[in-house]
Amino acid sequence: MSLASLTKDWAATSYGFLDASAKRELRRKMLKAIAVPGCQMPYASREVPMARGWGTGGLQVTLTLVNSASVVKVIDQGADDGVNAASIRRFISRVSGASETWDTLDATIVQSRHRIPEEIMREDQVLVLQVPNPEPLRGVEPNISIARQMHADADYGKLWLTLYEQIVRKGRIMQGASYPAMVNGRHVMTPSPIPRWDVPKLNMAQHLTFLSAGREKRLHAVPPYTRVEPLVFSDRPYQVEDHADLTCRRSGVRGFFMNELPQDGGGSVFEVSDSNLGIKAIDKTEGSAIEIGETWYRNGEYSA
Amino acid sequence: MLTVAPPDTVELRSNATFEALMWALSRPGDIRTLPEAGFDAISETLVDLECSAYADTPAMRERILATGANLSDRIGAADYVFITALEHAGQQLAEIKCGTALYPDDGATLIAAAAHLGNRVRLTGPGIQETTEITLAVSPEFWAMREMLCLYPEGFDIFFVDGDKVVGIPRSTKVEVL
Repeated sequence: MSLASLTKDWAATSYGFLDASAKRELRRKMLKAIAVPGCQMPYASREVPMARGWGTGGLQVTLTLVNSASVVKVIDQGADDGVNAASIRRFISRVSGASETWDTLDATIVQSRHRIPEEIMREDQVLVLQVPNPEPLRGVEPNISIARQMHADADYGKLWLTLYEQIVRKGRIMQGASYPAMVNGRHVMTPSPIPRWDVPKLNMAQHLTFLSAGREKRLHAVPPYTRVEPLVFSDRPYQVEDHADLTCRRSGVRGFFMNELPQDGGGSVFEVSDSNLGIKAIDKTEGSAIEIGETWYRNGEYSA
Repeated sequence: MLTVAPPDTVELRSNATFEALMWALSRPGDIRTLPEAGFDAISETLVDLECSAYADTPAMRERILATGANLSDRIGAADYVFITALEHAGQQLAEIKCGTALYPDDGATLIAAAAHLGNRVRLTGPGIQETTEITLAVSPEFWAMREMLCLYPEGFDIFFVDGDKVVGIPRSTKVEVL
């Protein structure tokens, strides 16, 4: 062992922005997260050139995975062309040489804020979700040490109680996004603020999902073919948003998750939230030879 | 303007190694290919001064020291355990760290050399659609010990390395000896 064998030449930047030690720490935690699906693993969460809360957790996971052969898609609330999504995608490609895409079918890594694409993800794809609050128990137990003990004991009674109270007070479950879900029958996770529409896509999925919260310094994972069951009562079936009968005003696609655009004179119109699906549908109608992948929802019904 | 260094060989090797390990653990029983045979690239990918590691060969111990990790003299004190001869590890292996229900991530990672042929086992659990069967040169006693130690979510995660091929068995996998 010589000094030369233990050191490296000086370099102004590291490949993929994160330094080697940050990547090793993330790799260790990502492997542990896969081994215990749905269990939140603490990590250091290094500084990245972006404010915390804007997807730094997802970005760190992506920067650890990425190489120059990767094809990266970044979604912000369903759209590829939002400022946040475009900036993150450009940053990743600039520091790693990875290619950029808007097409779910072409991507090897999909980093997303608040949506899972409508096209079914394949088994060689990784979905990286940006998570603002990884702790499903925060609303019922603000003390994180006690919340950790509750996870250790699989003590989720208070979560069930909040769902029950919603039914009693409002007649239905009001939880719109971040719907708590039991992973592998053991840990309850919050699947980041994806709508209820997207939660079934994680159950027995073909792809690997990482959920990473940079501000909260925790990540968890859902490996392929893992049970993800939203918490429901046996006499109150899980309900997704009532979007099955809505039609996108621009692309004409029907039966997918929609953005509602309120109109001046009252009423509202809808646009498909997965914007690239809409673009592909328009291109197809205009005669381009474009391939729209199989979708999780068909005719508004979850069918995968 | 940000200028980015092209990836060096270490970066490329670590990235490819991690990808193999990640998919191996995500799909227990699937055989993945490492960019390099043996343990060296794995220790380079995962181990550094923030962890402790154990190895049963002098050469591997030297590699661990070079990473800056704390070299453990017992398996029970190590986060990463590199074993070339599983059959000789014996009783000490039963001390392996399994974490706690509070901190499941404290469970160790066992990287063991084992031929991907021999005894047939059936795997079920996350990452496996229904069941999968693989062959591994691992004794039924080892699996019995694992079964006793891995009280989910406590437990340890295994990579079986055969040349440049790797199979991952996370603690969430149920192993049935056939």
